[in-house]
Amino acid sequence: MAFEPFRPFVFPAIFTDEGLRVTGLDVELVREIAADLSTRCGGKPIIPVIHLVRFRDLFVELNEGKLDLFVSAVAANVPAPTRAGLAYSTPYFNGGGLAAIVRRPEISELILARLDRQRDQPPSQEEFKGALEGLTVAVQEGRGAHYFAQANLAMAKVVLCDSLPAAFESEDPSIDVILGGQPILDYTVTWVRKDWQRMMLGNRKPLLLSREQYAVVMAEESYWLRWAVNDLLFRLNESGRLEAMRRRWLEESYAYPRRAAKEGLPFAAENMPQHYDQGRCRWAERK
Amino acid sequence: MEGCARKIVLLALMIVLVLTQGRAEALSQSEAEETARLLAALLDAGRLVIDRNQLLIDDQRRGDKGFTPNVFERQLQDEFLGRTGIDLAHLPAARVPPPARDLLAALVQASKDVVGDAQLVINQRGIGYKNFIPATFGSQAAIRFSSKSQVRLKQTALQPRNEKNQPDRYETAVLQQLAAQSIQSAPLSEITDGGKTLRVLSPIYYTKDCLKCHGGPAGELDISGYPKEGAKEGDLAGAISVSVPLGER
Repeated sequence: MAFEPFRPFVFPAIFTDEGLRVTGLDVELVREIAADLSTRCGGKPIIPVIHLVRFRDLFVELNEGKLDLFVSAVAANVPAPTRAGLAYSTPYFNGGGLAAIVRRPEISELILARLDRQRDQPPSQEEFKGALEGLTVAVQEGRGAHYFAQANLAMAKVVLCDSLPAAFESEDPSIDVILGGQPILDYTVTWVRKDWQRMMLGNRKPLLLSREQYAVVMAEESYWLRWAVNDLLFRLNESGRLEAMRRRWLEESYAYPRRAAKEGLPFAAENMPQHYDQGRCRWAERK
Repeated sequence: MEGCARKIVLLALMIVLVLTQGRAEALSQSEAEETARLLAALLDAGRLVIDRNQLLIDDQRRGDKGFTPNVFERQLQDEFLGRTGIDLAHLPAARVPPPARDLLAALVQASKDVVGDAQLVINQRGIGYKNFIPATFGSQAAIRFSSKSQVRLKQTALQPRNEKNQPDRYETAVLQQLAAQSIQSAPLSEITDGGKTLRVLSPIYYTKDCLKCHGGPAGELDISGYPKEGAKEGDLAGAISVSVPLGER
């Protein structure tokens, strides 16, 4: 699971009466997968060990066989050249999308003016490319927004960040726009970084650049595991459980420390650096 | 009748503490009580050190806080010295019951281990509240200490937030008694189980700082998501419970 928190899919590691725990929608799904695999494997309990690593390194570790699977708000439908050899489950979350947030209202005004502020439909990639011309746009390395920027934002000044918190803190360069997963950005500007705001269209709908479907990531040759996970997701979906999980984490009001204490999972602390380093941002190479 | 039996136990028996390494040493009741009192004071001192560093721990602008296990230990030593006059840095020379030396050292180590394990959480940047608070520290330190010792240390309350801290029958009775009376600074102790166990409860009272999470309005969720208790300064918060197995020589 990702080292930096993708609230509400993965919350920051927290101290509880039981020790260090992580929680979130993705963690709940991991619990479901572990419980289901335990049943499939004759009742012998399968204990999930959570590894918190940099998002971009998750793919490397899976390819190296260090992980069996990971769940980390990964968009399965994003064209991503470096993800060869990996396979995705059927989606467990369909409400994702690529969205934008800004800190300064004048940037929002500028983008809307370039797009035609009265519009109520999402801009085409071509229109959005022009709307961001000359602006400094932060994306997180390895996430869907990074690949979107590589493919579509030639006229913007793109900054690659190690994590979302690094994008918020970047001063040199100063960030005009952050592109990222809509549910994550929504949660963040609602609860954590209220000094930022989501980009809205003229009809007050969020500006979306694509739809994203989040899926569990496994090795391409893990056929049995993919069948098992897909079957579980099918049953969770049909029973309404997946939808309940989505509502529980995205719509309910709650404090995650309590959920972490009650239902969080422990993680392998030895795999984390001595102290949290959210990384930094740097200019992306122009291609 | 029960009281009579207790007096006989007190007068007639030499009490033996069964210690961490399985050694047994004869102790008077007062020595056993003193050992339990010191353990409770040490756990409470650790809680206070965490409380004093709460703003630092929850500073979201800083990554490495420098609140290492060794820094914690030094502050713990200072606090404990101020409370008891006992220098944890020179325990072999301290005037404490001999078994208390090993037990106090074990609790210091357990407390440092908890702070050590929490470094990952404490040093996260961009995250304010981390739930590393006196109560969660105390629970973990008590569990770790108790797992390596036959002396059982526990935080408890009449209505604890952590289910594992539910009071047993004895603790419930003492907590109810404490809640009904004015502030009692000295620990309460008693020999139970027909002379087999020394029980010591050291009460904890709410201070102003506690009321951010435990004060009013009752039922409103605090920062960690638990409903506030609606407590007032000076109300009984709970107790540190020490349970010492005794034996006959």
